Amino acid sequence: MKTMLRYLLLCSFFIPAGIIAQLTVSGTVTEEGTGQPLPGVNVIIKGTTTGTATDFDGNYQIDANEGDILSFSYVSFKTQEVPVSGSTLDVIMQEDAALLDEVVVVGYGSVRKEDLTGSVDLVTTEDFNQGPVVSPQQLIQGKIAGVSVVSGGGAPGEGSNVLIRGIGSLNLNSNPLFVVDGVPLNDGGVAGTRNPLNLINPNDIEAMSILKDASATSIYGSRAANGVILITTKKGKAGEVKFNYRGTSSIYEPTDFVNVLSPTQFRALVTATGNTDFIDRLGTTNTDWQDLIYTSAFSSDHSISATGAVFGVPLRASIGYTDQGGILKEDNLNRITSSVSLTPRFFEDHLKLEINARHTYTENDFADRGAIGSASGFDPTKPVYDPESPFFAFNDENGNQVGYYTWLNNARTGQLSLAPTNPIALLDLIEDRANVRRFITNIKADYDLPFLEGLTATVNAGFDLSDSGGFRNTPNNLPTSSVGFDGSRNTYENRAENYLFDAYLTYKKAFGDHNVNATAGYSYQRFEFDNFSRNTSRILDANGNLDTDASDNLTFIDKSENVLLSYFGRLNYDYKGKYLLTATLRADASSKLNPNDRWGYFPSAALAWNLRKESFMEESSFDQLKLRLGYGEVGNVNGLGDYNFLTRYVRSTSTADYQFGTGFFQTFRPEPINENLRWEVGNTTNAGLDFSVFEGRISGSFNAYIKKTKDLIATTTIDPFTNFGNTISANIGDMENKGIEFEMTVVPIRTEELEWSIGYNISFNDNKITRLPDTQDVGGISGGVGNTVQRHEFDRAPFTYFVYKQIYNTNGKPIEGAFADLNGDGQINSNDRYFYRNPYADILMGLNTNASYKNFDLSVVSRASIGNYVYNNVASQTAFANITRNDILSNIHADYLDTQFQQFTETNLLSDHFVEEASFFRLDNVTLGYTFQEGFNKKPLRFYVAANNVLVVTDYKGLDPEITGGIDNNFYPRPKIYLLGVDINF
Amino acid sequence: MKMKRKTNLIMGITMMMFLMGCHKDLDQTPIDPDLFTEVDVFANADQAKGALAKVYGGLVLTGQQGPAGQPDISGIDEGFSQFSRMLFNLNELTTDHAVVAWGDPGLPNLHAMNWGSGNDFSNALYSRLAQVVTFGNSFIINAGALTEDPEVASFIAEARFIRAYAYYNLMDLYANVPLVTEISAELPQQSGRAEIFAFIESELLDIQNSLKPAQQNEYGRVDEVAAWALLSRLYLNAGVFTGNNRYADAIEFSEKVFGSSYGINTTDGNGNGSAYDELFLADNDTNGAQNEFIFALNFDGIRTQTFGGTTFLVHAPLGGNMDPVEFGVNGGWAGYRATKAFVQKFDYAATGFDGDGFPISWSDGRALFFTDGQNFEIQSIPTFADGYAVSKFKNVDINGNAGSDTAGDFVDTDLPMIRLAEVNLNYAEAVVKGGGGSTSKATGLINELRARAGAPTIVEADLTAQFVLDERSRELYWEGLRRTDLVRNDLFVSGSYLWPFKGGSSNGNAVGEFRKIFPIPDNILLGNKNLTQNQGY
Repeated sequence: MKTMLRYLLLCSFFIPAGIIAQLTVSGTVTEEGTGQPLPGVNVIIKGTTTGTATDFDGNYQIDANEGDILSFSYVSFKTQEVPVSGSTLDVIMQEDAALLDEVVVVGYGSVRKEDLTGSVDLVTTEDFNQGPVVSPQQLIQGKIAGVSVVSGGGAPGEGSNVLIRGIGSLNLNSNPLFVVDGVPLNDGGVAGTRNPLNLINPNDIEAMSILKDASATSIYGSRAANGVILITTKKGKAGEVKFNYRGTSSIYEPTDFVNVLSPTQFRALVTATGNTDFIDRLGTTNTDWQDLIYTSAFSSDHSISATGAVFGVPLRASIGYTDQGGILKEDNLNRITSSVSLTPRFFEDHLKLEINARHTYTENDFADRGAIGSASGFDPTKPVYDPESPFFAFNDENGNQVGYYTWLNNARTGQLSLAPTNPIALLDLIEDRANVRRFITNIKADYDLPFLEGLTATVNAGFDLSDSGGFRNTPNNLPTSSVGFDGSRNTYENRAENYLFDAYLTYKKAFGDHNVNATAGYSYQRFEFDNFSRNTSRILDANGNLDTDASDNLTFIDKSENVLLSYFGRLNYDYKGKYLLTATLRADASSKLNPNDRWGYFPSAALAWNLRKESFMEESSFDQLKLRLGYGEVGNVNGLGDYNFLTRYVRSTSTADYQFGTGFFQTFRPEPINENLRWEVGNTTNAGLDFSVFEGRISGSFNAYIKKTKDLIATTTIDPFTNFGNTISANIGDMENKGIEFEMTVVPIRTEELEWSIGYNISFNDNKITRLPDTQDVGGISGGVGNTVQRHEFDRAPFTYFVYKQIYNTNGKPIEGAFADLNGDGQINSNDRYFYRNPYADILMGLNTNASYKNFDLSVVSRASIGNYVYNNVASQTAFANITRNDILSNIHADYLDTQFQQFTETNLLSDHFVEEASFFRLDNVTLGYTFQEGFNKKPLRFYVAANNVLVVTDYKGLDPEITGGIDNNFYPRPKIYLLGVDINF
Repeated sequence: MKMKRKTNLIMGITMMMFLMGCHKDLDQTPIDPDLFTEVDVFANADQAKGALAKVYGGLVLTGQQGPAGQPDISGIDEGFSQFSRMLFNLNELTTDHAVVAWGDPGLPNLHAMNWGSGNDFSNALYSRLAQVVTFGNSFIINAGALTEDPEVASFIAEARFIRAYAYYNLMDLYANVPLVTEISAELPQQSGRAEIFAFIESELLDIQNSLKPAQQNEYGRVDEVAAWALLSRLYLNAGVFTGNNRYADAIEFSEKVFGSSYGINTTDGNGNGSAYDELFLADNDTNGAQNEFIFALNFDGIRTQTFGGTTFLVHAPLGGNMDPVEFGVNGGWAGYRATKAFVQKFDYAATGFDGDGFPISWSDGRALFFTDGQNFEIQSIPTFADGYAVSKFKNVDINGNAGSDTAGDFVDTDLPMIRLAEVNLNYAEAVVKGGGGSTSKATGLINELRARAGAPTIVEADLTAQFVLDERSRELYWEGLRRTDLVRNDLFVSGSYLWPFKGGSSNGNAVGEFRKIFPIPDNILLGNKNLTQNQGY
């Protein structure tokens, strides 16, 4: 990589060619409104490469001919073209908010929106979701057809699962590739954080481009199989330094708890056993355990940014601070983000530099999530504290020890081995914290090569580092069945580094009516992972220090690295802007694959026809009408292990040794190998139509696609006599996603005072496995050990539920133990399970609206999901026998009152009765704001209030119908959030 | 401009060199300090011993992390995937010896005898045994290059024994499996049961001279007697496996075992009047029991942790009013109990009865039942209190001290897979079934076992096939042999012998003949079209 730096240095030694002209024109460029001079504005004689830029005071000087047209351009300002009529020419530049709409960042470049040939959505600052947004993914939730963003739950800073056009892989990562200012992030998670994308303060994001079809993504080749989301951060602007402060305060309220039996119902059922052993165990208190573990939480978020030019260098800097509590007591997220972006230009704008650096430091406190399941199942007649418990909680006013209520063993010294642990003790005692640091920086240089007009060389070097460390302490007063438990401590450090070097040439030129824009380049990425963890069975050593003695500690080291090397090229061609063609090719090689299958070639081609530009459309009220057709191939090896094609031996840890004689020997195990792993290859055919009519009052697009994934990598059962295990990762299947997407924006009213717009999107997706030689059981559930509720099989949707068919009585109540004998062999066993529904929605919709009246603004965001099914694992574990199972009293889900199931069996657990339709409508956010046009410093000042997760309409009986993966168990409830915010410019 | 061209040239060359350098970066090798290549592992005999430890360990451990993590077998809970735990589920839970309260997928089907070709336990044990075969094959091939060290000859013979033992179980459970002795990705052909039998026989006969003399190897590693003892078991069952009885051969190899230094343990270390229970205590590698163990799986509460093995055998039958402290662990899993059909095998020795007339104490030291709070009759299989609990396996030593894991989770007790008592019974059965030998010797061998347990001795006239079968049940219960014994005596699937919930009904019923063997796993059949499913599945 040293070579890379050398190369960068070399670049800066270029001296551009001189300029010769006749008339000297000079003047000052200022900003409209403020009158401030604008430094760094490009001044170019139209049709030539001759140009200059304004200095610190907005002054410029250029040699030109009378009648030449000078073009004044600058990022985020409208370009002005003024003919030369004398030696002085002052220009006032106007800011152009709409301009960003026009240019869409695509891989390794950008294009005008009207020249797009692929299926690309752009969401910019104005369209982002408002309200309490901590993670970047939340900004686009519900905004784009075919893009599903589902948060993992209600924890602070919780990650979101983003799916573009359905799942594209069975075993590998189905998440899209995120690229921040040209740096593709690594696909793995970061230990100690709930969401690796939390590194970016949402307030720093200018725009997100969502590349959906393969003709748009294939320039990212092997990493683009699930779509690409390009994040462009805010950059400096010329002009005086402006400051912005955004602050929000929010209250998070738990909304709903798992519907378990009330203490009265519970007592009645225990009494109904007629067994005095159990009845005697009933307590005398009424405890709502769920109410005790959840709380209202507060959150505040502040960010301040400065945008402007310093010494003529456009700069943006920001600092953000977030403190978010969780509704599960003890949960907390504390985050400090900082970012700097410099965009200087040199040599009369022939060299443009972009330097971005951002750093995030997060402190996470993780409440023990075991408390969620423990609270819903804990005996509601028991108190939280018990003076007889040996597990110390506090001393009462008389100085007597009070412990956490615990199901004690006969000796009353420890917890019964199968008893749940007091949820309050879990929250109070377990300390689980992590510090996560992430740093991303890149330097990008665009240099207009002087020897050929229109040829630009770009180099982008990036570095992405995440570094986390954390620990989990379990003190010795946590109720446990272990004898002589001394506490335990687990510490870990994870480090992931990702180096990027891109170099490419872009050639852009018009040959009469023929416009050509070609790009060719090279990309190198190296990923390094270094993970370390240590477990010890005591927290403190004999001296009261943290125990780091090697003999007490079990250490795990996990290191790996991989390299991805690529060549890519793209040709954009159009004739008069009417007929557009884009063709790309990327060649990728990954060190994860064996040398023979290492290279993958990913081509794409797309055509577009700008009907609006045809003469027959000249009179039409269409502003835009474009037809698109594209085909592309992309790859995927994300999330695949690093050396699967080599014979490796793994050495056992010191708890998995084998005894020979009196000694213990670490064992060497040969690992299963697959020498023939190849890329998963996805190909998408996409047809689309973009339109805009009545001066943009109605605009939208329509897309239809078929996305096929070939050679799916999945864990597959192999003949165990042929390898060192019974499963390997292998290319074994094919899958198909078919869908239709429609999105539309309507502006019914647009007047000086009142503007109202409505955005609507709808997408249909159908997903099916089109080849799979075996079946795969997935979707692990609670209840028993090793039960799974979903299965992959040929000709089914992936993750289809695989269950027993419940038989119901005439009243519609399930008959316990009565299942359809589907194979007709007179027995009910696993051969009678059948496929029933899947967790993915058939239809996703988003509906949002923005209205502004004078200084008021209102926005509403809502979503609907139709045809998604959820397996209610909380209810399915419910049976009368479970109330007294293992001599412990446990609460059960109120679903029992409906099913009246007596025994907890595998067949009851896997009954289709518990697969419920979970279609829903969710009102995500309502925001109302008021702007004082002349606030501080006479600059706009906005106050707003917002409510999040306002309303959910569903028939689903569980806590929340929106469950990633479709298995509802111990779900962290999504809170309702009320927010007060202010946005101050000064 | 010239200057610039030069710069361009330099830049171009630098670029080229950079790109070339990067291409080399695609060849990555493991940097993890716990990952090794074949060259590292088979560098010398000392290193190779770690690979031999895995050949043995495949039958003992479940993964490289212990007790769980980096599992050997996927598709099943790692704790379930331990060899002897699955063998227990297939060979004991399917019989009169055990029922289980748990509803884990596929588990209730085993006692109910209605398992399908997708049964998790049956499938995972197939994979486990096949994996031990490939671990063995890989070891035998790679260690073959290390001839300079004389110890390696024994290593290889031991690996061949473990492979033969794995094949013995594959043949017994699944009958028609591929016979593979190489490492190859090529899909193997299916072999018949008799072919596998012949392979095991020739392997064991071939290695008997390469294995070390009796008790001359390290504890935990097999010697020549293991080969003889397994041949004795193989020949005793030859009629089932090949259609030809080989009782005389069973007698011959039993005799070889008797001629060795192994002996029935008679040291009553805890002084309770029986030297039987010592065989299943935490210190059974030193308390005298080891002299009876011809092939044992070694467990350790700290160094060899798993949720299977004896950790399973101690925790899983522990529940109700049983005091975990007496068992040297921190609690029970409240799962397995015995059916009355098994408890009644000890009726002749019953000495105490409860109010309902059910036995609660016995004079035979092998009747290790816990009856307080347990019902003799089983009404409901998921109810732990239904059926007597079994207290055969404990994690305490002869002095009652708990094993090495002070937390009480993992167990030290070793688990004999072949012990001398079995060979005594093999001999007796072979005599009764007409293999020759001496009836008086057979009677003596059985009385040797009864005497050390404090049970009354028998006379030659008592020695019938049914008696020997019942005696095997009393002596060897929960050690993974019952199904084979019942199949050999034609009582496993037939209506001639019923036990509670056999075939799913509370009084028991006969099931299909095909259930004498287990199905070839359905997901393996899908991937290897050379295999055909066992008849009936």
